[in-house]
Amino acid sequence: MSGDFLTVTDLHAGYGDARVLHGVDLAVGRGEICAILGPNGAGKTTLLRALSGMVRVRGGVRLDGTALAGRPPDALARLGVAHVPEGRGTFTPLTVEENLRLGAFTRRDRDGIEADLERVCAYFPVLRARLGQVAGSLSGGEQQMLAIGRALMLRPRLLLLDEPSLGLAPLVTAELFRIVRTVNEQERTTVVVVEQNAHLALDVAHRAHVLESGRIVLSGSAARLRADEQVARSYLGYRV
Amino acid sequence: MSGPAETAGEPMTAEKSETVGKPVAAGPAAGRRGALVRAVTAHRGRLAVAALLAVACYLPFQLVPFHVFQLTMVLVYAVALLGLNLLVGHAGQISLGHGAFFAVGAYGTAIMIDRWDAPHLATLPVAAAAAFALGLAFGLPAVRLHGLYLALVTLAIAVFLVPLLKRFESVTGGSMGLTLGKPAPPAWTGLAEDQWLYFLALAVAVVTFLLARGLLRSRVGRALHAVRDDEAAAEVMGVRLSFHKTLAFAWSAMFAGAAGSVYTWVIGFVSPDSFSVTLSITLLAGIVVGGLGSLAGPLLGGLFVMFVPSISQDVNEAAPGVVFGLLIIAVMYVAPAGLAGLAARLARSTMRILRKG
Repeated sequence: MSGDFLTVTDLHAGYGDARVLHGVDLAVGRGEICAILGPNGAGKTTLLRALSGMVRVRGGVRLDGTALAGRPPDALARLGVAHVPEGRGTFTPLTVEENLRLGAFTRRDRDGIEADLERVCAYFPVLRARLGQVAGSLSGGEQQMLAIGRALMLRPRLLLLDEPSLGLAPLVTAELFRIVRTVNEQERTTVVVVEQNAHLALDVAHRAHVLESGRIVLSGSAARLRADEQVARSYLGYRV
Repeated sequence: MSGPAETAGEPMTAEKSETVGKPVAAGPAAGRRGALVRAVTAHRGRLAVAALLAVACYLPFQLVPFHVFQLTMVLVYAVALLGLNLLVGHAGQISLGHGAFFAVGAYGTAIMIDRWDAPHLATLPVAAAAAFALGLAFGLPAVRLHGLYLALVTLAIAVFLVPLLKRFESVTGGSMGLTLGKPAPPAWTGLAEDQWLYFLALAVAVVTFLLARGLLRSRVGRALHAVRDDEAAAEVMGVRLSFHKTLAFAWSAMFAGAAGSVYTWVIGFVSPDSFSVTLSITLLAGIVVGGLGSLAGPLLGGLFVMFVPSISQDVNEAAPGVVFGLLIIAVMYVAPAGLAGLAARLARSTMRILRKG
């Protein structure tokens, strides 16, 4: 796979005086799942927020040749960047269906939206059963499915997932990652997923990057990272 | 989870108990009754609105003119609260200055009639448009400010309005205000003046309610709800925060302006002291008490704003403000979701009793 669908060059970002990213370079191929691993505070979430325009950045971000850096989040959404934020960002008083329809907010093709609603419900049958229910009444796992389903309603070219496993039971997390893989295989959606649980992430990803203190310290194919015991021990905090 | 089971189970128990009571003829009758209950349940919203409208059309022929006037004012406040509800209840912003937009509508209409002898009805769209434009301008701070900071800026709008109205005496009539004629009822209606004013206010209320409902069900409504519930998530979904927040202020101000315009028709007099900061705060209290984010909230809030101050005057002439304040506290304690929330709760238990027979 060519590594030029999403390219990030010398990306700096932070909040006020606190600099978090110190020159990140990475490339993601079209249709790839890319995992960003690393310890707490490494800047994983900030990297995703930089990609979706939620923090100010310095440096270059290009998606399929279009410069993304410096554009506001709503403009990036219109360019096909869907961000599933940390903590899911569920609109709790609204129904599941209203949440899903908000995912397609930038789109005007009525028929396409109806078809995609059906498609998302096929990926997440739990949501179909709960379409008329208030989203706040869903369990954590269901809300995470809703968040991903809502992002898919955008028909994203780039799907950003921030810690989908956070606070979920292992079985639910495994199911989520399985669905993400299916979506990626069926629709060739490029995915960047930030994850603490390296084991899980390396199982679905094609490539992975380890972020530490705002810099990429290691990159490689998921298989290689998984196989390298030294890597596992020093960066990922578990034994293979 | 128990919801569907309940609705499926209860009509059956109702039929069973009646069959036991009247073994011969009860079967089909109970079936018919069950069908009726089901139909009423399915269309209860539409039925309630139809009943309300029927009562609203019947009342002015039964009441003395003063009470008709009071109901007219309830409708005027309801339209203003409808606008405030859009902003506070649906878009999650706050305004302590809505009295100012109301005043812009009222003065706009008054000045048009006073200076150019404009026909009453024609002044409403112009006044509403002026309020819309002003709301757009004052919506800009909302793009950058949140919560208390936004409250403070909107409060400032209400504060500087009164001196401003007094200052430009040549146009506004200064402290003396402007006195105007009321719209005369056309002969073909056969209505008295108070009844005609009432029906004008009712027509404006119905049109604005339909407009607000349409707005909320559209894409714009979804965007407003998203902004209210989670700004960051709304933004990554492609909702332009600055655009929708500013627009929410503008729509909201437009409804307040329309209400102000009808106010001038009904009262026939405007003066700066009618639009002090107290009006803004009373409006905010009205919509919170009425029920934020519900379509019935503005109407209930209108009743509250109209009648509670005069009721508190009756309770204690020395300190009506204290009684008014205590009543707000009492309502919020009994009904945290406002009067609309309380009404919905009562309606649900009534339906339950009805279903059980």
